[in-house]
Amino acid sequence: MTKPTINYLEILKTLRRHKVDFIVVGGVCAVLHGAPLAAFDLDVVHSRETGNLTRLWMSFRPLGAHYRIPARQTEIPGLSELASTGHHLLMTRFGPLDLLGAIGKGRDYDQLRNESVEMQVGTGLVVRVATLECLIKTKEESGLEIDQAALPVLRRVSEEKSKSSDF
Amino acid sequence: MTETNLQTRDADAEPQLAHAPTHSADGVDLTLIGWMLSLTPAERLQVLQQAVRSLQRLRNDQADY
Repeated sequence: MTKPTINYLEILKTLRRHKVDFIVVGGVCAVLHGAPLAAFDLDVVHSRETGNLTRLWMSFRPLGAHYRIPARQTEIPGLSELASTGHHLLMTRFGPLDLLGAIGKGRDYDQLRNESVEMQVGTGLVVRVATLECLIKTKEESGLEIDQAALPVLRRVSEEKSKSSDF
Repeated sequence: MTETNLQTRDADAEPQLAHAPTHSADGVDLTLIGWMLSLTPAERLQVLQQAVRSLQRLRNDQADY
């Protein structure tokens, strides 16, 4: 497998350039809210609306995207696969990108949209990001140990943020 | 501002800093959270990318040996 230089900003720029509707979740979302955590992939929940799936699929070539799993390393997800609630773990020229049809207890793009905010993450680049409260709730719902491990940090960030907004 | 005033101001501020907890009861480093919250989201993303890249470099350097 190639060793890409991780550049989340370039992945986000490429997705926006292709007018893909998505919500950043996971570790990068946590960092954008101020959590001092490391994230080695970019997790996004994409809209499964037909037009959006086509735009997403069109972004694969400039991203140099392909599956990370050894059995499918030369493949990219098809439109019907992207339309499912499943997870597609991809490698791109800018690092790992996970496309998630839904997270937690079946939260998809349409449900998450009401629990997300827009954030400027680069010059002229605004992306939609799950709220910190939503991220905490999703991780609480998940039974995965890795999600439970991040919860103390996320809860403290939430507390510190609410303290500073009291003034 | 006189030197006395400066000293008074520092003396007032210092006890607050000295007593500010560095960690939460469950061991989370609050100083890192404070630092991250002082940055904009764009800056936080830069910090993450730099951190991940330097870890990648460390791993790559290790692999060379």
